[in-house]
Amino acid sequence: MADWNEQKSFSEKSISAGLVCFSAFGVNIAVEYETPIFTEIEILQNLKRIVPPGNQISESEKTTHRFKILTSDFDGKPVFEAFKEEEKIAVAGTKSLLFDLFESRFRLTIAEFAVGKVFLHAGVVGWKGKGLVLPGKSFHGKTTLVAELVKRGASYYSDEYAVLDEDGFVHPFPKMLSVRGIIDEFQQMDLPVETFGGKAAVKPCEVGMVLLTEFEKEALWKPEIINPGEGMLEIISHTIPIRYKPEFSLKVLNKIVNRAIITKSQRGEAVVFADLILDFFERQVIEKLF
Amino acid sequence: MYNSQNPVARKEKLVIQEMPDEVLVYDLETNKAHCLNQTAAFVWKNCDGQNSVADIASQFELKSGNLIQEDLIWLAIDQLNERNLLEKELASKFSGMNRRSVIKKIGLASMVALPVIASLTAPTAAMAAACSGIVPASSCPGCNNGTPCTPTPGGGQGTCQGGSCI
Repeated sequence: MADWNEQKSFSEKSISAGLVCFSAFGVNIAVEYETPIFTEIEILQNLKRIVPPGNQISESEKTTHRFKILTSDFDGKPVFEAFKEEEKIAVAGTKSLLFDLFESRFRLTIAEFAVGKVFLHAGVVGWKGKGLVLPGKSFHGKTTLVAELVKRGASYYSDEYAVLDEDGFVHPFPKMLSVRGIIDEFQQMDLPVETFGGKAAVKPCEVGMVLLTEFEKEALWKPEIINPGEGMLEIISHTIPIRYKPEFSLKVLNKIVNRAIITKSQRGEAVVFADLILDFFERQVIEKLF
Repeated sequence: MYNSQNPVARKEKLVIQEMPDEVLVYDLETNKAHCLNQTAAFVWKNCDGQNSVADIASQFELKSGNLIQEDLIWLAIDQLNERNLLEKELASKFSGMNRRSVIKKIGLASMVALPVIASLTAPTAAMAAACSGIVPASSCPGCNNGTPCTPTPGGGQGTCQGGSCI
């Protein structure tokens, strides 16, 4: 198998007309596209941008999830549409917007069906060899907080998914940070971690703390350590494959909640709270190692 | 001895994850996760059809070293009933009574932790990641107003408002 980034091998090996196939985290995906409206090169360029690191070309026969990208007509104007199996998942007036819309569902498919991994919707950083996992919905300041932690020297794992293996270790998922507020309140701009003076982590680490926190204007930092059972329920609500593979997910989460400290607190502006969080992490996790 | 009037813990279509002081039970039929505290877990594990409620109470006293009222066990049975964690529903001893006053009465007389079962409905993959990027219209019910979404009824991009993509 060739690396995704080797576009030459990709086009040599796996293409039939209008079809690209790849594998990420053991999930085999095919993307069918309408030609000549879409060209192979633009499909590859766009998918390369939105698929997670560590994916490989695969054979089309092995694919289990199928996306389609087509053109259609809406009130006499051409529109671009994306489907997952038969479900329409995105409609857009431009190709670039279509790929933006396509992105989250595409990654979500990988997150749900990843083999041997449990994906939590969470930001993750590493600090002195231990992982800090920050579960949370989007629009609750997850990326902002991750960026602030990275600026302070934390290693970058992800601003979107905590990828946990069967031993409860968290793996890097170092996509670019999707920052809002640069273009407007909703649109994301993808920036490499180096923009924040940070570095992407390269190896998995043990989770030291799970911090359940949401932005609240003028909130005070009042961390409360919660018991494993309560922590487990809280984390389940951010666990992508909990319905698809509950037994494996619970086994992995159990390892996390029994080893890591599960903490809950509201927080205010990330620029202020990042220091408080790292200080708390240092005292509760790092100092207790020695 | 087995008695059809005795409580029996449901075992089918459940994933059970033992934790040091609690038990996490995932119901594959309803996609609900239930966290049973130590007291509730003890009662559930001893609902084997052989033990009556009085037997379970005696076993609990033996284990905890405290005298308890049988009502404490009934309180656990009641919650197990509600969450469909028993094979067959047992008539509630407290039917028609105010749950809060029952808890107060038992709690005041009890030296042990009351049985507690915390539950939640497990999210679908889309709900767990709800509001990530521009969400599909179907995710709007789980997102804040203002979240970018697609498609609107007209087929373009909009924002989630009151659970719909507008």
